[in-house]
Amino acid sequence: MTRPGNSVVGSRGKARRPTGREDLIAGALALPQMPAPVMRIMSYLSNPDSDMNTLASLIEYDPGLTANVLRMANSSLFGLLDPVTTTRDALFKLGTRRVMQLVIASGVAPSAAGEVKGYGLAEGEFLRFSISIGLGAELAAQLAGIAAPAHTFTAGLLCPIGKMVLGRFLGVDAGPILDLAVTEDLSFEQAERRILGIDHAELGALLLASWGLPEPIVTCVRWHLNPCLAPKPDTARDLAHVGLALTTMAGIGLGVDGMRYQACQDSFDRLGVTPEHVNEALEKLVDNLTEIEEILSQV
Amino acid sequence: MKNRITVSISDMKISSDPGDMLITHSLGSCLGLAAWDPQAGIGALIHCLLPKSPHPDVANPFMYVNVGVPLMIRRMAALGCSKGSLIFRAAGCGSMLNILNQFDTGAQNMAMLEALFAKNGVSLAAVDVGGSIPRTMTLHVDTGALIITSQGKEWEI
Repeated sequence: MTRPGNSVVGSRGKARRPTGREDLIAGALALPQMPAPVMRIMSYLSNPDSDMNTLASLIEYDPGLTANVLRMANSSLFGLLDPVTTTRDALFKLGTRRVMQLVIASGVAPSAAGEVKGYGLAEGEFLRFSISIGLGAELAAQLAGIAAPAHTFTAGLLCPIGKMVLGRFLGVDAGPILDLAVTEDLSFEQAERRILGIDHAELGALLLASWGLPEPIVTCVRWHLNPCLAPKPDTARDLAHVGLALTTMAGIGLGVDGMRYQACQDSFDRLGVTPEHVNEALEKLVDNLTEIEEILSQV
Repeated sequence: MKNRITVSISDMKISSDPGDMLITHSLGSCLGLAAWDPQAGIGALIHCLLPKSPHPDVANPFMYVNVGVPLMIRRMAALGCSKGSLIFRAAGCGSMLNILNQFDTGAQNMAMLEALFAKNGVSLAAVDVGGSIPRTMTLHVDTGALIITSQGKEWEI
């Protein structure tokens, strides 16, 4: 068995290189949080009693976020006849869910847009991958005729955050992980656990828990790669897994890990997602992703 | 220095400029099909997301194997290519691990192409499909060379 860490951690990242599970966790937990207003909104979205006025207040708390929302709402893509001048106006005209997606995506975009070299993702690819998982999760719910929990998009968006932490900030090179996965016929996250002592889903969940994100989002991130192994079923987690499957099949933001992840059929079955739903979701995903990317490019 | 023309998801490009190379990135379950006519010096590359269109009159036929591939061939014929001299090579059609057949879009894309070609008496000169690797496909219009790159490696088919 390969010794954790030593052969795959490059010279980028921290001055003292992480060399195994505990070092990688410590390195991840030392990273700065996302902007505070975005964190507050993500936390609030898990509240079943969330309302439009409070959400508007959370956005208005931050002038930069407010400016981004107004810029996006007035984008030609939405085709609104009258200019949107307030956050409440944007929420009313575009819908709470759409605005929240844009707010969160715009909060994540600055850090997620860069290259994740260790996992072979060029600039922009990791952000596309993240947004696509969130969108795919919501599309799956829509087509299967089920109500997606409010935090579904956010959880989907954050699912791969551990990959960014490992591949960019902690200097992990995924090449040897892939080699092990191919040689021993493992899924990529199994090989991550063998070599690093932790997989990117667990690391991402630990990071988000340390930031104080709500438990439903944290557990969704923790088990999104294989919900079949999770202690109990969860709708948002199943949706995030289907979002990941759709993103992977469409070839959006694939790195060196490629498609080397297990499909959990139980997730599809619990949600009632059929092959026809998958095809329709893939069509919509590609179209919607282009639109979201165009909007985010203005942030 | 060659001119790189990107073929996006659900897109198709044709070129008769020997200085061009047609590239499609990150094929997952999608089908990439290159067609090259050495006599006419014309190449084309299509990136299909799904095997079958829900109805014949779709907004973007290049999204689907069953209507996109025939349309690509018709467009090439209109530019002077002959069906008999076209060389076809396919790549992509990957799958996640343990995915059930009915959800395996990659296998369905390839099956649709094979059925379409069998019906029309067309053969594939080379294939590089399946598995769980992402593939980038580059067709050089001048030589017809078709390069596959994946996970830091490169090979020609």
